[in-house]
Amino acid sequence: MIGVAFAIGIALAAAQQAAPPAQPGESPYRIAGRLPVRIMSFDVQPKSIRPGEKVTLTWATENPQSISIDPIGRVAPRGTLTLTPSATTTYTLAVTGASNSADKRMVTVTVQGTTAASATSASHLPKAVPRTADGHPDLSGVYGYGQAPGGRGGPPPAQPVLKPGAEKFKIVRAADDTGQYSSCMPPGIPQSFFVPYYTQIVQAPKSVVIAHEYLNLHRIIPTDGRNHPPDPDPSWMGNAVGRWDGDTLVVDSIGYNDKTEINGYRHTESLHIVERFSRPDFNTLSYEATIQDPNVFAQPWIIRRNFPLLPEYDSLNEFVCENNRDYKPLFGNK
Amino acid sequence: MRRYLLAVAAVVLLASPLSAHHSTAMYQMDHPTTVTGTVKRFEWTNPHAFIYIDVKDEKGNSTEWEIELMSLNHLRSYGWVRTTVKPGDVITCTGGAAKSGAPSMISALLKLPDGRELRS
Repeated sequence: MIGVAFAIGIALAAAQQAAPPAQPGESPYRIAGRLPVRIMSFDVQPKSIRPGEKVTLTWATENPQSISIDPIGRVAPRGTLTLTPSATTTYTLAVTGASNSADKRMVTVTVQGTTAASATSASHLPKAVPRTADGHPDLSGVYGYGQAPGGRGGPPPAQPVLKPGAEKFKIVRAADDTGQYSSCMPPGIPQSFFVPYYTQIVQAPKSVVIAHEYLNLHRIIPTDGRNHPPDPDPSWMGNAVGRWDGDTLVVDSIGYNDKTEINGYRHTESLHIVERFSRPDFNTLSYEATIQDPNVFAQPWIIRRNFPLLPEYDSLNEFVCENNRDYKPLFGNK
Repeated sequence: MRRYLLAVAAVVLLASPLSAHHSTAMYQMDHPTTVTGTVKRFEWTNPHAFIYIDVKDEKGNSTEWEIELMSLNHLRSYGWVRTTVKPGDVITCTGGAAKSGAPSMISALLKLPDGRELRS
């Protein structure tokens, strides 16, 4: 009962909390970044069942930064779960957000003839990296967009060394150029990993599928020992073959067109990329791309990122660039 | 010095939200604009969602404003669904207006009819 009162108290405190006022000239995204989190709803139906029957848990939150349900684990901002609790269980939805805001609510399912289950959640315990039947680490999962190892405040991304005369491959944008993504054309590799959209890996015994939510681009990468076909047609996502080097998936790719960019640089059709994927712990996908183009770079250019596992998602969303705009008229002459 | 500037640029970039799809160079992000109007339609689409609202001036004249939002993956992560905004709702949008002076803006936060504020 005290716990319920405490939860309601937190909920009221969050509901009454407002974002700190804007400062003159402040970016609206900074203002928005201070909006407090709130729980819109959290419910379970039915609230009383017989052993073996199902219940449905539903929830909705707004402006969250982290969302979890104990004893389930991390969940999406809104969702529905069908569960079969074996004993009377209290579920606690806890959210945190900007400006130190937090909210918490509880619901209880009574399973007739049982006593309350322990509130201890297994979701907080460290998990081992899963392995497939053939012994390789299983990289399957949905991953968020990441940052260079070291995180925020770490060193800036590595810059390439251009070969003499290759300065023209460095991209200089006009003031009214809205960037490489505004055309809705495929970003290619490795750039498809560097956009703020999720990536999903599906690992099968003889192939690995790497899918990107942005533009729903994907590669089906054989890992059965085959080599590249001779002289593949130039393409946006390249021709990739994979192999295992211990616990690291190594993906070798060629056959790129010259229409994509890599972190501010163009390249030629001689682009050759070697990507190394590993899962140093349950929650992290480690990514390293070694980029070579004998027409552009004086030495291999290595870009590293860590991508966080998002256990609250099991598939990507559809992404169709159906409502793209020409933004040039919005610049005007100012 | 160049290394220092790069580091500063990286910190500034990381401190700002990632642009979902394009730069915001066509909008005046350093002078936030706030407009209030009645929703005519809501396009729940990628690469960006759009809301069209009727904004009335002090003389009662109506202007249609085009309000650009983030892409659907970002909106979902803020808690949006396709019915969060409905035709007829009176909403207030805060963001950057087009440099051209056109009634067009990108909205970073939005106030719904019941006073809830949502990232957008």
